[in-house]
Amino acid sequence: MLKYRSIRPALLLLLAQRPKAQRGLSQLKASALLRTPGGEVRQVRCRLSSGQGPAETGRQGQPRGPGLRTRLLVTALFGAGLGGVWLALRAEKEREQQRRRTEALRQASVGQGDFSLLDHRGQARCKADFRGQWVLMYFGFTHCPDICPDELEKLVQVVRQLEAQPDLPPVQPIFVTVDPARDDVAAMARYVQDFHPRLLGLTGSAKQVAEVSRSYRVYYSAGPKDEDQDYIVDHSIAIYLLNPDGLFTDYYGRARSAEQIADSVRRHMAVFRSVLP
Amino acid sequence: MAAPTMKERQACWGARDEYWRCLDEHEGDAGPCRTLRRSFEASCPQQWIKYFDKRRDYLKFKEKFEAGQFQPSTTAKS
Repeated sequence: MLKYRSIRPALLLLLAQRPKAQRGLSQLKASALLRTPGGEVRQVRCRLSSGQGPAETGRQGQPRGPGLRTRLLVTALFGAGLGGVWLALRAEKEREQQRRRTEALRQASVGQGDFSLLDHRGQARCKADFRGQWVLMYFGFTHCPDICPDELEKLVQVVRQLEAQPDLPPVQPIFVTVDPARDDVAAMARYVQDFHPRLLGLTGSAKQVAEVSRSYRVYYSAGPKDEDQDYIVDHSIAIYLLNPDGLFTDYYGRARSAEQIADSVRRHMAVFRSVLP
Repeated sequence: MAAPTMKERQACWGARDEYWRCLDEHEGDAGPCRTLRRSFEASCPQQWIKYFDKRRDYLKFKEKFEAGQFQPSTTAKS
């Protein structure tokens, strides 16, 4: 393999002595050799060809084909080099953005949506207790005429469908009350037993419930009381999906069926990547 | 006052469904359905009865609306 450095002085000598008809060809050869190792434009090539080109065409009608092709080829290689650098820079920028996003998600997974509530056995629970588990959460109240039982039934069906697949991680169903005045620990225990053995009821003080509802953007408003002090709580209806990092991942309204929700949860499980160390 | 259990809820919904079926058969005439109305009122908490009555009104209105029985008035145009 000829090294271009050693051959350059010899070539220059040859070019100076060769008959003019062969100059075009030797121009091509010289520039090809100079170009090979690094793909960079060599200033010498420009000087070589420009030194001979115009004078040649003026005197002998030298064909400009090879020269043009060479230039195009060099430009293409130069462009490819630039493109490569641009792609590398873009990839680095995307990696940096991904690092920042991961850091933001890590902070959110700890601070956002945290709660401090009592479960239906009287144990204190916070969001960190559920880290590592997928969670399906529903906000309602035990005195609810039809919507909450229907939605909880649907939620439990989703959990059962997913349980039927042993390769999937278990999903924790949670029911949070928006009526803490009436739904104490005993009331929650009575209520959740009708649905699923793993359904966890969460309640707390009015302040704690207000905090968790705010975190999850749940609207609720107790209606007017009637003669026997009964009332209905108007509230937003949604089943929330939290991933094992404790981050809010998706929500499902009344229109979604249990099959649709189960499909969606399976899809989220398939693409999940933890951001926590 | 404790919340209804699952059995009580289902009894209430059953009575409500029977009552509504009777109303549908008699085109909203509450007369022949009085006994069912009484059993409905006995099975469900008062708040729920009010809620279900409002729900029925809404469902009937929705049926009429979707059947196109409410037309925008032309007198509103200037």
